[in-house]
Amino acid sequence: MKTALITGITGQDGSYLAEFLLGKGYEVHGIKRRTSLFNTDRVDHLYQDPHVANRQFILHHGDLTDSSSLVRIIQQVQPNEIYNLAAQSHVAVSFEEPEYTANSDALGALRLLEAIRILGLEKRTRFYQASTSELYGLVQETPQKETTPFYPRSPYAVAKLYAYWITVNYREAYGIYACNGIMFNHESPLRGETFVTRKITRALARIKLGLQDCLYLGNLDAKRDWGHAKDYVEMQWLMLQQDRPEDFVIATGVQYSVREFVNAAAREMGLEIRWTGKGIEEKGYDASGNCIVAIDPRYFRPSEVETLLGDASKAKEKLGWTPRISFGELVAEMMREDLKAAERDDVVRRHGFRTYRYHE
Amino acid sequence: MKRALITGITGQDGSYLAEFLLDKGYQVFGLARQESWYQPNCASHLAEKVEILIGDVAEGVDVARAVQAARADEIYNLASQSRPGESWSRAAETLMVNGFAALRLFEAVRHHCPGSRVYQASSSEMFGQPTVERQNEETTFHPINPYAAAKVYAHQMAQIYRRSYGLHICCGILFNHESERRSLHFLTQKVAYGTACAALGIRNSPDRNERGRPIVQDGKLALGNVQIARDWGYAPDFVRAMWLIIQQHEPTDFVIGTGILRTLRFLCEIAYQSVGRDWKDHVVSDPQLVRPLETGKILADPSKAIQVLGWKPSISFEEMIDRMVKAQIQRLQRVHRGKL
Repeated sequence: MKTALITGITGQDGSYLAEFLLGKGYEVHGIKRRTSLFNTDRVDHLYQDPHVANRQFILHHGDLTDSSSLVRIIQQVQPNEIYNLAAQSHVAVSFEEPEYTANSDALGALRLLEAIRILGLEKRTRFYQASTSELYGLVQETPQKETTPFYPRSPYAVAKLYAYWITVNYREAYGIYACNGIMFNHESPLRGETFVTRKITRALARIKLGLQDCLYLGNLDAKRDWGHAKDYVEMQWLMLQQDRPEDFVIATGVQYSVREFVNAAAREMGLEIRWTGKGIEEKGYDASGNCIVAIDPRYFRPSEVETLLGDASKAKEKLGWTPRISFGELVAEMMREDLKAAERDDVVRRHGFRTYRYHE
Repeated sequence: MKRALITGITGQDGSYLAEFLLDKGYQVFGLARQESWYQPNCASHLAEKVEILIGDVAEGVDVARAVQAARADEIYNLASQSRPGESWSRAAETLMVNGFAALRLFEAVRHHCPGSRVYQASSSEMFGQPTVERQNEETTFHPINPYAAAKVYAHQMAQIYRRSYGLHICCGILFNHESERRSLHFLTQKVAYGTACAALGIRNSPDRNERGRPIVQDGKLALGNVQIARDWGYAPDFVRAMWLIIQQHEPTDFVIGTGILRTLRFLCEIAYQSVGRDWKDHVVSDPQLVRPLETGKILADPSKAIQVLGWKPSISFEEMIDRMVKAQIQRLQRVHRGKL
């Protein structure tokens, strides 16, 4: 039986990957940070009581910014595979917290690779580094593939670029089986609420039920290649099952703008949005003439990444992988789940209990 | 009077730059760690002329305090863990000093004195294993050691801060630059030192290498792969380039290098020749000194610097090596006075 260690297990990808690996018979270990609020919502359905015999799913307290915790956990777990999914993963926040972002995203990856090396696990432990399409930033060619030069545009992307190179360096210098998955945007109902796709589906659901009036967004013209996280975690696993380690771009090869995402999500609920105005004056109205989408310049980034589109030919050819879930299905699922959540809030509220309106 | 702040003032580049700026009438501040400043260092002779702010670039608070205290017109970020080979065993520290320190400096400038101009010391090591014969400002980076990866981090972060916040941050992508002040752990200085020992007949040197052994042992100087090639320039020429870069109206990046590639073997040849010796009698190859990943052929295309800055090297490679060898001979004679 194989043992896997997942950093960032409480996140979107971590929870899908944990489920996937448990399905393959792995013993799955995860690292979670101690936080003042519960942060295990996404993996609570996998939780096993510590008193159960032969647990397959085990969480450890640790932190990518704490090297001794990482060395301790890796020493204990002796994993066959490490998936480094933990990160300060929000681009806009990285402008406000560049140092923390670098500490967890750049130095964090290095700490894991060093732990593998100093524990003498170079031959035993395979390492997956979650790289990102944000590395391409100001794109140098379209679509982007493994050989496209990087041009990062945010502190997040620069930190991830360091992690990318240090992964390549440790592979080449020490023969560690380490690879980068350069993943384009991947979404799901488990996506963090402050990421644009989830923000849209969540807000539209709440607007529909009268729990919210208006959705404020930044750059509606930004184009992204959006896939489903559930599809993408399978790739993370596949990359570690090859004869030799290589880096792969993972993408759908189809691109939509933020505005198109809004339209698709609205249509799922039978809403047709009428757009008027340009630039920061642009507004979206529902059939009754209520303004339900507007621009808030607060959400513009100091430097924007306008367009990302991936070419996953290499993954298709060498790993035999193509995404199974379409853009339409992704949007529909996210909308459905957020509508359920909004309905739950509505029921709770109508019965006199307090509900919260979370803001970023 | 203009004010300048230099991080890494106790090093080769920092000390030359401090002299250069003092000559131009600048008031010069230096950020240095206590343990670097209170021991003999490259800038010791400037103690009365510069104002030292004690602090560590790896400490965000120290950087912010220095930026506030100096209120400099120009800030030169030269502090660094400067040995690519050693960065494999000191990878985390290298990222802290070469990467995070730059970020903290940019943040401090953004908040406390956004009008300051910043020079960031980028490195030709960022090119690593280039696919083009000559590298210029447009060449894609391919770092192949933790030192280079950390320098890419700082360089890219400089681009982000320049573009996102309109700060005047410029980077000099400097190819190797050497001088009499290079520390003994650098290749060129090791060769100069070995040559000096050969000239003076010293078979076991008083100074030790990074592995704690005499640099010259039983009359032999141990080097790694002598086939490696570098574009080696003279440090005083390069600090002049730094100043020119920061004077430009628009902040942009410049590649600085001589544009001539020379092998380590050639360096040994002319160094030992300058004292009438044959390098083959004095140099041995030690596989333990070979890096896990060897940097490829990196060679500067300094066209932009030549055109825009009017910059060019002032002395030849041979002249530089000659000066370095002579300096080592003098130094060893001082140390060994009476014994030779």
